[in-house]
This record gives sequence, C-alpha cells and structure tokens, in this order.
Amino acid sequence: MTSSRIANVGLVDHSRVVKFSFDGRTYKGFEGDTLASALLANDQMLMGRSFKYHRPRGPVTAGPSEPNALVTIGKDARTEPNTRATVAELYSGLVARSQNAWPSLNFDIGSINGALSPMLGAGFYYKTFMWPAAFWEKVYEPVIRRAAGLGKAVMEADPDRYEKSWAHCDLLVVGSGPAGLMAALTAGRAGLRVILAEQDFRLGGSLLSETAMIGGVSAPDFAAATIAELADMPNVTIMPRTTVFGWYDDMVFGAVEKVQKHLAVPSADKPVERLWRIAAGRAILASGAEERPLVFGGNDRPGIMTADATRTYLNRYGVATGRKVAVFTNGGSGYRTAADLSARGVNIAAIIDSRAASADFAPYGVRVIRSGSIVDTKGGKRLSGIMTNRFGYDEMIDCDALAMSGGWSPIVHLMCQRGARPVWSDEAQAFLVPDVGPLFAAAGSAAGHATVSECLRDGAVKAHAAVEAVGRLVGHVNTPEVEGEYDPSFAPLWYVPGARSKAFVDFQNDVHVDDLALATREGFGHVEHAKRYTTSGMATDQGKLGNVNAVALLAGMRGVSPAEVGTTTYRPFYTPVSFGALAGTARAEQSRPIRTSPLHGWAKKNGATFLESGLWYRSAYFVQGEEKTWRESVDREVLNVRQNAGLCDVSTLGKIEIFGRDAAEFLNRVYSNAFLKLPVGKARYGLMLREDGIVFDDGTTSRLSENHYVLTTTTAYAAEVMAHLEFASQTFWPDLDVCFVSTSDQWAQMSLAGPKSRAILQKLVEDDLSDASFPFLAAREVQLKGGLIARLFRISFSGELAYELAVPAGYGEAVADAIMEAGRGEGICAYGVEALDVLRIEKGHVTHSELDGRTTADDVGLSKMMSKNKPDFIGKRLSTRYGLTAADRLQMVGLKPVELDKPLKAGAALLREGVEPSMTAGQGFVSSACFSPHVGQWIGLAMLKSGRERIGEKILVWDAVRSSEFLAEVCAPVFVDPENLNLHV
Amino acid sequence: MASLITCPHCGRRPKEEFSIRGDAVPERPEAAASEEAWHAYVYLRENPRGAIREYWHHVAGCRRWLVVERDNLTHEVFAVTDAREAATGDAA
Amino acid sequence: MSIPFTHRHILEDRMSGYEPSPNANHLTVLRRPVIFSALAHAGHEASVAEALSLVENIVVRSVSPSDWLLVSQNAEAGAIAASLGAVPGLSFAEQSDGQVLMAVSGPDVRKILAKCVAVDLHADAFAEGESAPMMICRVAGNLARTGTDTFEILVPRSYAGYVFDELREAGREYAMTRGFGE
Ligand SMILES: [Zn+2]
Repeated sequence: MTSSRIANVGLVDHSRVVKFSFDGRTYKGFEGDTLASALLANDQMLMGRSFKYHRPRGPVTAGPSEPNALVTIGKDARTEPNTRATVAELYSGLVARSQNAWPSLNFDIGSINGALSPMLGAGFYYKTFMWPAAFWEKVYEPVIRRAAGLGKAVMEADPDRYEKSWAHCDLLVVGSGPAGLMAALTAGRAGLRVILAEQDFRLGGSLLSETAMIGGVSAPDFAAATIAELADMPNVTIMPRTTVFGWYDDMVFGAVEKVQKHLAVPSADKPVERLWRIAAGRAILASGAEERPLVFGGNDRPGIMTADATRTYLNRYGVATGRKVAVFTNGGSGYRTAADLSARGVNIAAIIDSRAASADFAPYGVRVIRSGSIVDTKGGKRLSGIMTNRFGYDEMIDCDALAMSGGWSPIVHLMCQRGARPVWSDEAQAFLVPDVGPLFAAAGSAAGHATVSECLRDGAVKAHAAVEAVGRLVGHVNTPEVEGEYDPSFAPLWYVPGARSKAFVDFQNDVHVDDLALATREGFGHVEHAKRYTTSGMATDQGKLGNVNAVALLAGMRGVSPAEVGTTTYRPFYTPVSFGALAGTARAEQSRPIRTSPLHGWAKKNGATFLESGLWYRSAYFVQGEEKTWRESVDREVLNVRQNAGLCDVSTLGKIEIFGRDAAEFLNRVYSNAFLKLPVGKARYGLMLREDGIVFDDGTTSRLSENHYVLTTTTAYAAEVMAHLEFASQTFWPDLDVCFVSTSDQWAQMSLAGPKSRAILQKLVEDDLSDASFPFLAAREVQLKGGLIARLFRISFSGELAYELAVPAGYGEAVADAIMEAGRGEGICAYGVEALDVLRIEKGHVTHSELDGRTTADDVGLSKMMSKNKPDFIGKRLSTRYGLTAADRLQMVGLKPVELDKPLKAGAALLREGVEPSMTAGQGFVSSACFSPHVGQWIGLAMLKSGRERIGEKILVWDAVRSSEFLAEVCAPVFVDPENLNLHV
Repeated sequence: MASLITCPHCGRRPKEEFSIRGDAVPERPEAAASEEAWHAYVYLRENPRGAIREYWHHVAGCRRWLVVERDNLTHEVFAVTDAREAATGDAA
Repeated sequence: MSIPFTHRHILEDRMSGYEPSPNANHLTVLRRPVIFSALAHAGHEASVAEALSLVENIVVRSVSPSDWLLVSQNAEAGAIAASLGAVPGLSFAEQSDGQVLMAVSGPDVRKILAKCVAVDLHADAFAEGESAPMMICRVAGNLARTGTDTFEILVPRSYAGYVFDELREAGREYAMTRGFGE
C-alpha cells in the first residue's frame, strides 16, 4: 500500500461503508468520499489515460478543475462519460469505468502514441492530415477518433427526468468557503433574501481541509455551526450540489443542481438534475482560488498533485496520498502541506523549494532543498522517484507521491463572462477579477485575499456593502479569530528549467511546453491562436488548471508581461452542463406546447389520423372500412362533400373580436379591399398586405353589430395577425377608437359543406336557413334547438353550399355529434384538412402555399381585392411600385398533366417545352398539387411567369428531387364550377 | 439563459415573453409620400453600435407594444415605454 | 326536436382515475367558471377599472392597463354580461370556454410554480390579491395569488392539456394531487 486511509481522520463517516466498483473490481469507501478519494484510499492512483499520448494519469486536484481523473459513471442508459472522479459523490452501487484506454487501463496499446509523439506536436491536425482531402473522412478522422478522445456517450434514451426552475434573491453568494459563509451570514442576519450556492455536496469549501482553528473551534466545526445558523433562517436558501456556471444579462445566473446524481437508482418523482435561473439583485463571488501546478519535466505522473489536493485528501477524506511524499513548492503552501502530512505520520521525502530563502518552517527532521528544482520523474502507474537538481547537481530521491505548489490563481471566471477581462497583478502574480460594477463583487481568495482571516473578514465586508445598498440595517457579525494560520505567499516560478522529459502545461490535452514554444515560433503566439493551435485550455476542463501557466509561459517566450498576453475569452459554462438539464422537461411530446382543438375528441372517435400543423394536431383524414391508403380516404371524402355533405374541424382558425366606433375604419386600413360599407350580418373575404405590398394573410371578417366585428385568420398566421393589428392600432393610429381580443379558444368551429348541408343544419337550427333569409355571406348569431346560441357564417372554401358554425368550445363535440347524427340519412361524412386542401385546389382558392411571402394580390388573381379608392391601407403605397407590377411576374395558373396518370407534386419546377432542364431555365413552380377525384387526375396550382397569358400552353414539369419530367397543360386555376353556381343554391 | 426586461405594465420579465420587431426609429410616411420615403421606411435601416430604439411586443404579458431603448453592445436597457404613449406623446 | 348538448371540459380525459382525496399540495381544475374578457376603449381605462371593481360576483384579473379577465364562480354569464353592458367605454367577450381555470395550493406551491413561471412569487413581490399576465409553462396565461399558499392560473383552452401535464410534472416531487372542483 502506498496511498491509504488513516483511521478516524477527516469528515468522511468511517462507520458507514459504501461499496462501489471501478473497472469491474469492487472497492469500499466511506460515506462522504468522492470517487477519487475512495479510489486513493484503496491505493488506486491510476484513474485514466491522457487524451493524445495515452499516458497513465492520476488525479491532480481534489475538485472541479480536475483535468485527468475523468471516468464514466453509471450503467446502461444511465451511463455518463467524462465525469470528474474528484467531485463525483460516492454512493452505494456506483459503477465507474476508466476511459480512453484499450484494452485496459493498466495495459494500453495506445500509449505507443507516446513513442510517436514527435508527430503529434502542436498543430498536428492542421499539418499532418491536410490532404488528400478524401482521406480526412475515410482514414484520418476515424483513426484519430479511435486513438484520441474522451468517454463515449451511450445511444439509449436517457431514462431520467430533468427540469428547470427560477429563483429570486437579493443576494446570491457563489461558494461556501470562509468568505461565502461570512457573506451569507452577514446578509442573512440583515434579513436579505439570500441564496448560497455550493458546487460540492458538502458546504464549507476550503474550511473542510483547513487545520487552523477559527473562533476556538476547528474550521469544519466553525463551518458546520455557521451553516446550521443559515439553515434556520427562512430568508436564506442553501443550495448544495449546485454549480453556478454562468453570469448573464440583468444579473441572471445559470446554475445546475445535481439533485439525484449521487443515487444509484434515482426516484422517478424527482429530476436528476435541475437547471436554475437565478435572478439576483446582487451577487458575491466567493469561488476561492486554484493552486497552480508547477511545470517541470515529467510532472504528469500519477501521484503528482497539487499541495492543496494533497491536503484536502488528507484532512477532509482522511487519505494519505503516499507513504513517502515529496513536496515541490515556490511558497508557504508546500510547507503547510508537509506539516499536515507529518502530523498524520506520513513521511516527507524532502521539500524542494525553488526559492533561495524563506521564513517557512519545515517539520522537524525534514530535509529542505533550497534553490532546488525537479527536472525529471520516474515511475509507471505511480511515481517512484524524482530527479532533483540544485546548481547543476542531480540527485534522485525516492518517493511515491509529490505535492506541488506553484502559487494561487483566484477563480475569476464567472465575473469575466460578460466581456470584462481579468486583470493581471504583478504583486499577486495572478489574474484578478475586473471591476464589473457594484452589483457583483468578489470576496475572499477569489478577490485575491490569501489567509483564512482575510477571507472571513472580506466576506463580511462585501456582504455589508450589499446590505447597505438595498437600504437594510446591518446586524452585528463578528469576524472570528483565527489561530494557526500560515503565510501563503509565494515567488513566481512559471517554468522549471532543465526539463529532461515533457513538462505538461495542460494535462487534459497533453499540451507541453514545447508545444507552446512551437506555436510561438510558428506565429501562433497570440493567446487565442495558441489555444487553437496547441489545444491548450480546450475540452471539458477549459484549462481551469493550466491556463494561467500557459499565459505566463507564452509571455516568457514572447518576452512580455502576462498582462500583455492576456487570457482567452471566458464564456459559460464554467463546468460542463448536461443537455438533459438544458432541455429540462422539453423533451419528446412535451418539447413545445401542444394545442388541442375542441373537436379533437370528435375527430378521434370518427377515425381521424392527425397531422402536426404548427402547435396543433389537426385531423388529416378519416379512414373508413377497408380503406388502405390515405388517398382512398381523401378521395371518398372529397367526392362525398361535392355529392352530399361533409363536416370538417376548422376551430384552429384565428378569431379576433374587434370593437369600437372606428372598427370599420380600422379594418379598412388593414385590409386591401373595402370594409367601410360591410352591412351588419354579413361576412366579407379580406386580404391583408405587408407594408412592402406583398400579401400577408387572408380570411373573412363578419360584422355582428354596428361596432362589433369578428375577424378570422389562417391557422398559421393567427398570432402574427393579432400582433400586426395591435401594432397598427397602438403605433400607427392610436387615435382610432378600436380594441380587440382573441377569442380563438372560445369557439369550436366546424365547416359543414356540400349540397345537403342546409337540409342537415336546418334540423338543428331554429332560425330559417333558406337562401332568402340566410344567403351566401350571411353571418349572424343563431339559436340551436335546445337554446344554445351559436354563430353561423355562410362561407365556403370548397365552392359548395357551405356553412361555418361556431359554438362555445365545450359544446363543440356534442354539436358535431348531433350534426353527424342529423346528416346520417343524407350521407354526411367527416372530412379532414387533406380533403379540404383538395376541395380548395379544385376551386383555385389560395392558401399560404401560394401566399408564400413573395406574391402580390395580382399574382394570385386577386387584383380586384386592391381598392383603388381608399386613400391609405397597409401595403398600398409600395404595392404599385415597379417590380410588383411587372408583366413577367409569376402568376397563378392551373396545371393538368397531359398524360392522365402523371402525379403532380408541389415544388416541381416549370420549364418551357423542349428546354434542357436546369434551375436557371426555370419559369416557375408548382405551389399546390393533389389528385382530384372530380377531374379524375392530378391537378395543381402553379406560379408561372406571365402565367395568365399562357393558358393552353404545354409546359415541362421537372421534379429533380423525385426524378420526374413530363408535360402539363396550363389552364385557368378553377377545376370545378367556374360560374360559382353551387355557392348560391 | 435569460435577460430581464422591465415592462412598464408588468414589471421585470424574461426576454422569452417578448417578440422583437426591430428598429423603432423609422416612422410610417403619409400615404402620398414619395416612393423614396416609403422605400426608406420599409427597407433602409441604420445599424448603429450602442444605443438603439426597438419595438418589443409583450406577447406573453400585457400584449402591449413597447419601445425599448437599449445598448446593443452592453445589453444595458435605458428605458421601456408603451408604444401607444410614445405615439400619442409625439403627436401631442 | 330539442337537443340537450353535453358540455365537456377539455381536461376531462386527463382527470379520470385520479386520487379521490387531495394531498397537501393540490391542483384543482375549476369545472365551469364564467369568464369574460373586458376591454376599455381609449380614454376610459380608469373609469372602466373603477366600474369593474363594483360589479358583483366577479374577481378581476389584470391583463394590461386596458384589458382584464373577469372570473366568476357563482354568477350566470348573462347577468355579468348585463352588468358589463351598462359600463360606458367597455367592450367585452365571453371566454368561459376559451380559458381554463386551475388553482394550485399547498405548502410547496411556490416551489412548484417556480418551475412554471419566471416571476418572483415571494409575498413581498407578488402579494395576495395580485394578478398578472405571464408565461406559464411556456404558454401565455394569467396568474393570480388568491391566498398565502394558493394561486390561480388561467390559460387558453387549447393549451390547457399541455400546461396541465407540465404542472403535474412540476408537482410530482411534492406529491401534488389533482382533481376537478366547482
Ligand atoms: Zn407587459
């Protein structure tokens, strides 16, 4: 055993054993362990293989910035790759596997990449695999993908639930170390609504591995007491396992809470992760500081980790990372670590201090090598020795672990996500937080403070400012006394000279010093270029650990200050966030709102097949008897409507009630045709244009009383038309007395069409429906037998005698049932939007297939809808400009294939007969097409250059997508009842 | 993730409740105005960096059209006013 | 021939087979409330608001400075229409079938609704008696606080099934039950 558990040390519960497995072997850990601490306690230092060279790697941190110890956790569909073992909370039954190793972690064939490493230098993607181009997809990429990479996603659907939630507070505190706790306590006692978010499953931050005494108690006890007080405050919300990953506009923070990631089988009643949007009045960043690794030859062997990590494993988890630990440091942290290890009975091989002198004390009997360095290391799956160098003299020292400290970098990411750059400080030898205004402040070591007492004080001070800013009284909060602190100062050491093997800067991406040097030599020394060229700071850890070293190294190579090099751009997310959390409940059927028609139940029981149409599910067709194909059903429905009668759900049309003395004038200005003289009790077809003269939408508007209209829109444009009317009323003509409200959901609306529709409807309606008393375009309230008041409109989309009946939505199904019952003897059928489409194509009525945002009223043969007399209406002025009136515009025509069996499809291109098919020779396109059971062949509506003067011409229909080519005859776009005789019976 | 816009009628709301129409600076010309004036109104837009005026529609709230004055670089919002009040105010 | 048409609630199918007795957290779907949209014509906003506050048996939900939803559990639509018809500068349209009214109540109601709305529902920010139009489960609706731990939701009928399903999911963590109520 080299790394091992120390009895009864730390904050793990030594009485609660947790069994888990790693690469198929079963291990025991304790409650309170992370996967990494438990593996280390079992002497399993090797946890992964590196990305490019497949080098053996162990953890280098004990927290979220871990670049090496990435494992796959979970089984089957719950498999999650690239999980950091250093933050993965241990649970009973946890199954973890190593990644990027084949055939096994211990023996990996890919490590041969190490031998090929001269080929895999910086920019190798760009240089090595440039050509031949076809090789990229077929050879290089598959090979690289197999050799290099991280964990693999599984293909099964995620069985777990995710959700999103909002939270609101006066003050958000990010991080629960000494500064965060004091900030939350100060604000909480003052009565602010506080949210304290901590990424760890245990609150306390660095206090959990701190050996100094605070206010006379141990640091973890101080943390526990403070958290207990906070937990009792109704105005404070504590959010453990919650990573604040992004800072967005208007003080909204994004956070992800791992609700049930620490359970083998999560409860189905809760999400596994919850995405939080936290709207904060103010925020304090108390995210702490990251200890920097040292960049020396062979610095990536398993067993080499930061001094802070060594101390965390020791003090928090009761795990000694080795039996004989060496320390390499440029400051006080190394000495502190040696002292803590020594106090727990761990041997210290030596302290190698890069400085010539310091005031730090080594534990009794420990050898200190001043002005020393490490130039190489040895060992396979675990460190076995270090080659030290002092004034040119080498010495090999045996050890099985190394704690390194290269100084501290405040964790500033969150504050730099909205454009502000971190600020280099020569004094602190680190990038510090920028000033981002009064609402968001950093506290504690995130703000550059070093000692525990400074951090405690700073947390209180920053919260104090927040409390005063919102006008509350600050309660009394004492900053407790701290005993036994150490001096954490350090002397900069960015690169340890004399490396005999690769000195890694970015462990995860296998970027070493030579790569950065190469990038600089080849002109990619700019920090953003160097990142892409070397991949330093990419992938899951985004260089949390290595970036500052990389920047300083680039600075050294370019002979400038790190301030001049600057950092790469910081963006959300701070740590990876699962797609599941980002999607929340918006998955599968719930991915967007679904709208249900009041006649949905009626359609369902009549055998409807539904079709997604925007947010609606509309009944497409109704299969009856032996019908095998949708065409059989649609053909029957169409013929039956023209012969007898059919009932169709048109509830999805937009309905807008318009009121006001100036309602008529308003309609006159938003429609292109005249509306001033529409009589009460009448409906009129109307066309709306956009201001550029192109058709926007169409529909009917009915005048129900002097100052009350109901306007209908197409299903697709209901929301747009409503917004358009509101815009026109509120900004163009606020002086007009008009107001409106959508009643789309109030009414179930059904179209009853066909020669027998009057006879059927009359059985249900008290009012006289004869042509004389209820003529074409009549529109008024009627009374159904039984007393229900309905709205009836005699309008027709099919060209047949037809009515649209609107009843309060809750009665829709019952009324539709009654109509079907009343029409049974007349041969009524239910028909869907497919048949409706055929009926209107046969009649040459347009929909948005023709009104596609490019057509004018004249293009579709509706020039009579363009009032010449109105002084103004929306779209009037530009509708007459050159271009919209040109003679060679595409005009709507009808089309009939010359050979009866040719199927016409929408989207096909039109060309002159005899022309070689090409898009440049295009003369137009088929906008709508269907099989017409009435005509007995496929027919279509088409937009054709100067189409109206080409009636009778044979034209080539070319469908390149479906590889078909045939001739069709251009005809008038009306295939049924051109004189409209059926309408007026 | 979100931005919060303060509607004068509804208070602070996420941007998902709004739809943005665009530039609120051009004014609809008189019907008889020149084709150039109409062309400019419909098609021509300044594309300034910094302070802009836009029409926002509070579709999931009060359904009022609003004029939002904001900085398209920093996303700072300077003012949100009801478009009708802005329109009648200008007329007065 | 006289036909007694059956009225059907859009959530009828979703409600069958559910818990007979409500838990502490409960979602009530109100079966037949009377609902109207009320619109004030320009210049009449203040007088209409005043008049609406005097109409008996209705509660007024804010939509915009000139737009309200009126909800009644105990009056006939005709009677309300008659009262509204007498108010100068007011136009109105019945929405009893166009809006679905649901009440969510219980000790965890704010946690449940935080998953559905972006608005701060702390009592200091959204007090009892307040109402506002807002996005509720991605749908434009109206939320009112009718008690310390009770909120009422109005959403357009066609969206009600979707919103109901989302609310049900949001309440699952807190064992929220659901049922029709009068
Ligand atoms: Zn609003």
